[in-house]
Amino acid sequence: MGFQAPLWRAVAAYRFASLAYATILLLVDRGNYARWPWAWAVLAGMAAWTAVTTRIYATPAGRTNIMLATDLVVTAAALLSTDLVQYGSASYVGDMPVTATWVAGPVLAWAVAAGRRAGMVAAIILGVCDLVLVHHTFGHLFAGADLNGPVLLLLAGWVVGYVSRLAARAEYALQHATQVEATSRERDRIARDIHDSVLQVLALVQRRGAEAGGEAAEIGRLAGAQETALRTLIASGGGQAAPFDRLPFGELDLTALLARENSAVVSVIAPAEPVRLAGETAEQTVLAVRAALDNVRRHAGEGTHAWILIEDEDSLVSVTIRDDGPGIAPGRLTDAAADGRLGVSHAIRGRIRDLGGTVSIDSDPGAGTEIRLRIPRASEKA
Amino acid sequence: MTDQGESPVRVMVIDDHPMWRDAVARDLTEAGFDVVAAIGEGAQALRVVGATQPDVVVADLRLPDVSGVEVTRGVLAARPAARVLILSASGEHQDVLDAVKAGAAGYILKSASRAEFLDAVRRTASGDAVFTPGLAGLVLGEFRRLASGPATDGKHAPRLTDREAEILRMVATGLSYRQIAGRLVLSHRTVQNHVQNTLSKLHLHNRAELVRYAIEHGLDASAADATGSAGSAGTGA
Repeated sequence: MGFQAPLWRAVAAYRFASLAYATILLLVDRGNYARWPWAWAVLAGMAAWTAVTTRIYATPAGRTNIMLATDLVVTAAALLSTDLVQYGSASYVGDMPVTATWVAGPVLAWAVAAGRRAGMVAAIILGVCDLVLVHHTFGHLFAGADLNGPVLLLLAGWVVGYVSRLAARAEYALQHATQVEATSRERDRIARDIHDSVLQVLALVQRRGAEAGGEAAEIGRLAGAQETALRTLIASGGGQAAPFDRLPFGELDLTALLARENSAVVSVIAPAEPVRLAGETAEQTVLAVRAALDNVRRHAGEGTHAWILIEDEDSLVSVTIRDDGPGIAPGRLTDAAADGRLGVSHAIRGRIRDLGGTVSIDSDPGAGTEIRLRIPRASEKA
Repeated sequence: MTDQGESPVRVMVIDDHPMWRDAVARDLTEAGFDVVAAIGEGAQALRVVGATQPDVVVADLRLPDVSGVEVTRGVLAARPAARVLILSASGEHQDVLDAVKAGAAGYILKSASRAEFLDAVRRTASGDAVFTPGLAGLVLGEFRRLASGPATDGKHAPRLTDREAEILRMVATGLSYRQIAGRLVLSHRTVQNHVQNTLSKLHLHNRAELVRYAIEHGLDASAADATGSAGSAGTGA
């Protein structure tokens, strides 16, 4: 299954390709063979074994240690049979054994099945057989290029084993990630249900507490504060990246960002769908809104209610901050701006102007203050 | 409590939370309403709505079996004269909007005080649309979404008049109907009618959409309601 299956298919493909190569060599190097017909018998055996291994290795159940060991023994036997079918002299001039590159089959199989070490062990066993075949005496060992074959086998075992482990690890990681995703989705669902129940209880405690009065009223007030806090937490996605991951790269949901301002005296009102803004623009807008809320707290008093209305108007986003405080006397804003005193001028107007937007302030004594920020989508920054 | 001399308003309460259900029912009874049923499951509520004949149905948005949206649709199908007031703990989201589009007459948060809640039921009974600033924000957003939708939908999309948009924006920034009436020099009743109109437009548009969907998909119009509830079950899940 998974990433292992293609590797096993590659091993089978390698065996078939090698078999074809061995056949060609047998036709070309006829002169090297003392018993040419017997060499064809060996080749037939190799073809049969290629079919058997392809079939058996195709399913995970077939990839047993016994099968792998048998594979190695059969291949080694085919390799060693070279001694019987070729002329003795052929070995000394460095000709290919009858198995040719087909000999690497079990090395690859061991490597895929059990990793680098197993691949290298199989390579060493077959490499030794190869050397025994070629060099009846140790003295000739370093004479020609005869070490190439075994060294290549060793490297193949090492590399394929490494790739195989990598594939296994990748598969495990993918499986794990899928599991984590499923678990977190289920947890989210359960959390939503639990949150709803907790909110209900907190709202009930708040309500009953307020009616009972005295100490219960204090408990009710505390429950009310927690109810608002939890509702805010849920609205802003619990501080996780969840609300953002559906958005195109570099964009943020202004609603999720501003939802954190929700409190007992601040209500954030928004459309149901995310209000998308470029990341930097969204962050600057949030800072401007915070500056406006600071103003409300500072100038209108702690208990003043504020509403933040977010509107998505295609080409621009509008954020309205209204409070029910005493309002600002006409002329005071301009005076203050002239004196450089009020935060409104710099923290709000400056920021929004930099984003290419506009700010309008509407206030009457006794009727609260309304600040409307209009921020264009395609910001024309100076 | 008010001057309803005749028979008291008949109210059905649907809430799976037993403490809430009892508290709400008790508050309503004490305030002079006739609580005809207090039920914990949506399906059961839909079975008895015909027999109990409520004027107002106070329904929790989250029920264990069917969604508040389906309850709204089902109640109105069984008893078109009833008015549904949605009660929810989790704040304003897509599901509140879906309930309003299904025909709910109003929405109130569970964190509202007892007086606010009773006032909301009373106003719902007398035909007012009970809005929170949050609901107004959702409705404004929905009209914008419909208007900027695909070209074919944009033509059919309902639009707010300038006055309606102005009033909704005021509701969304926390002004009461009375304050709005004062600012715009309108009667309280006129402001209420404007707000009520916005909900009716959404509801009508939603129904028209369901019928259109049913026709396009080879279903007859009577199947439209069923199709609609299956669709909204998807969003609720």
